[in-house]
Amino acid sequence: MSALTFTLKAPLQQRVDVSPLTPDQLADKSVAEIAAITLVSGRQQLRVDQVFDISGDDANDIIFAQASRKLDYIGQKMNGGRITINGGAGSYLGLQMRKGEIVLNGDADAFAASGMAGGTLHINGSVGDFLAAALPGDRKGMKGGVVIITGNAGERAGDQMRRGIILIEGNVGAYCASRMLAGTIGVLGTVGDYLGYGMRRGTLLLTQEPKLHATLQDCGTHTLPFLSLMFKSFANFPSKFASLKQNRVQRYAGDIANDGKGEILVLK
Amino acid sequence: MLIKLTGGRVYDPAHQIDGKVMDIYVRDGRIVERPSDAEPIDQEYDLRGKVVMSGAIDMHTHIGGGKVNIARLMLPEDHRAHPSQHTDACRSGCGHAAPSTLTTGYRYAEMGYTAGFEPALSPVNARQSHLEMCDTPIIDKGGYAMIGSDDYFLRMLAAKKDQNAINDYVAWILHATQAIGIKVVNPGGINAFKFNQRALNLDEENVHYQVTPREVLQSLTRAVYELGIAHPLHVHGNNLGVPGNVETTLKTMGAVEGYPVHLTHIQFHSYGTEGDRKFSSGAAAIAEALNKHKNVSADVGQILFGQTVTASGDNMRQYANSGHGSPRKSVLMDIECDSGCGVVPFKYKDQNFVNALQWAIGLEIFLLSEDPWRIFLTTDHPNGAPFTSYPHLIRLLMDKSFRNDMFTKLNLDAQAMSTLNSIEREYSLYEIAIMTRAGAAKLVGLHDRGHLGVGAGADITVYTDNPDREAMFAKPDYVFKDGQLVVRNGEVVKVTWGSTHTVKPDFDKAIEKDLKQYFDRYHTMNMENFKVNAAELEEDGRGNVIVQECKGRREKTA
Repeated sequence: MSALTFTLKAPLQQRVDVSPLTPDQLADKSVAEIAAITLVSGRQQLRVDQVFDISGDDANDIIFAQASRKLDYIGQKMNGGRITINGGAGSYLGLQMRKGEIVLNGDADAFAASGMAGGTLHINGSVGDFLAAALPGDRKGMKGGVVIITGNAGERAGDQMRRGIILIEGNVGAYCASRMLAGTIGVLGTVGDYLGYGMRRGTLLLTQEPKLHATLQDCGTHTLPFLSLMFKSFANFPSKFASLKQNRVQRYAGDIANDGKGEILVLK
Repeated sequence: MLIKLTGGRVYDPAHQIDGKVMDIYVRDGRIVERPSDAEPIDQEYDLRGKVVMSGAIDMHTHIGGGKVNIARLMLPEDHRAHPSQHTDACRSGCGHAAPSTLTTGYRYAEMGYTAGFEPALSPVNARQSHLEMCDTPIIDKGGYAMIGSDDYFLRMLAAKKDQNAINDYVAWILHATQAIGIKVVNPGGINAFKFNQRALNLDEENVHYQVTPREVLQSLTRAVYELGIAHPLHVHGNNLGVPGNVETTLKTMGAVEGYPVHLTHIQFHSYGTEGDRKFSSGAAAIAEALNKHKNVSADVGQILFGQTVTASGDNMRQYANSGHGSPRKSVLMDIECDSGCGVVPFKYKDQNFVNALQWAIGLEIFLLSEDPWRIFLTTDHPNGAPFTSYPHLIRLLMDKSFRNDMFTKLNLDAQAMSTLNSIEREYSLYEIAIMTRAGAAKLVGLHDRGHLGVGAGADITVYTDNPDREAMFAKPDYVFKDGQLVVRNGEVVKVTWGSTHTVKPDFDKAIEKDLKQYFDRYHTMNMENFKVNAAELEEDGRGNVIVQECKGRREKTA
């Protein structure tokens, strides 16, 4: 069996919702059935074979080849299996994903990993705003799983995040971890303004000293043994975070304007 | 254009027609006498073997106004999860518990409903409510103006103003808001909440005005009666959802001293305090009292399981319920110091003891109430369930074995507290037609709707008889609105824009002198701007205001 591969036929003019193309929804479907699935694109409905060349037969291992940033909702509500995307992904990558693995070799737009509850999302590239954030009106962003990003993330990364781990090797924009409820976000690069704005609980792990707003409080320098355990859990990740060792940190608490049980740990 | 509907089995309770095979003729949107044989029929529909009723009327459904919009705003997930695609006839839309205006109209029409009445039209929000309803296609609509907790009225009561003055104010409100009835929500309670009272019983005074809910009910039921408005005072009682509120509800029936009154979503007001969990069914007592008090009518406000949103003017009770929200969010607000608003999303679960018993209580009330002319089929959309679940509810009423199957799936403790599966009654098609057509039209005061007699508006629904009543009522073969075919095989084929029904009783215009002073001194807007003009509803060519007949002012009764 070879990976079920969707190769984009031509550059897209209009965004396409590819949420029906996940391993669990395509399991046990013949190529002809898959080709006949309709995808919504603006006010049009397109057959899968109008958009993609289809090859391979293993629905548990899906590849999007020559993918573009006009493909939205890749891996939505995915419940197992693996999706590899070569090229780029649109918005809502891995929306409400529950299990399985998504690997993106390229950049993604807004709301990647939003409402994600489990599984891993590995992005070899950068993402737009609202990484792992709650959709407008929702009360919770990411609820579990692991997100690893080798590039940068935009604004509002981890907004209302509830659980899970996000590891960003590059920089993040403003309002990172805003209204965060719980979970862990690590950033190796720089962070923007208003870090942890309205943060309630949760942990931010940084390597560079951030600019803090008024309601985050310095709690001094500490040696935290739990960090050794956490770094051990990172050891198998294909990420620069796997090589973190030291557990001496400057600790800030906040946002004291909203409960203030969150912590920002800056490695010394 | 002359249309003939040939050979359908007609259920028209207003004319005591119970399943008689007959022809109906429609000309220019009205039902007409059989024309002379010489006259050519322009269009004929062969309805032999089909069931024919007038278009259904939902006499209590929250489809427009501030709180509905807040519910929409607060529940983007409801919209995301339920998109509806555009078709050749319809535009796209969204929503399940709080659907968009367009979707609301389409879905109602697709179930054979041709009218819906917004029961909580806050006078200060009347313009917004009406404009939203005017954007709701196909169905007719109207609103009940919500007073009883407004400052001007409570001042009048506190000052012991003459009943005639109160009647004039009520009539002025009806004119100013283009409403067809008057509603009171948690009489005096919305206001008492603002003075930090968190509960208000029937004889408990509002701490600021020293006015009791009983006085509010008495003056308003009397005003509505004396003005000759067809729709009795529409009452959402005190203590909604509180265990033991069955006592309050029974007292409320007595408090109106024989004046006509309509108790809305009575299921939420029929709870006892028996059993280990101090929550039990008061349905038997409520049904018995309903059977006895001929001046009282009620709609049930049945709950059905699933996700919905509760939207009410009763900020006192919604504040108390806000912690139960699912998803956990809520909006509670004051509206221009004159009314309130509480919106709390809610998920009813069949394995939850309280929810399961609520379900059973609603059905018990339906089945134990003897007179279908005084009990109405509602879910208090969206509070008990979205209106799209009506076909399911009709099946529960008409099919005992289906009902008992559903009952046995409920929370076991709730089953033990209910007598539902020992009730044998099944509603007939004739009784369903009373509840959802003839009775509702009579109650609201729609003289040319809800029946199929000569002169009536040609709002007609045609079903295929099917022992599965849910399937039957979900997908009518044809729906005609004002003589135009709008739905075929359960799908909208033509979009029309319905009318707004109002009532305009006479009153002494001199009251505006005092009202103007009050508006100038206290109100957030000018009195002239407060008044909604019929032309505003009609100006884009979609709306049409119909003034339903009023019986005329009755003499002072005491």
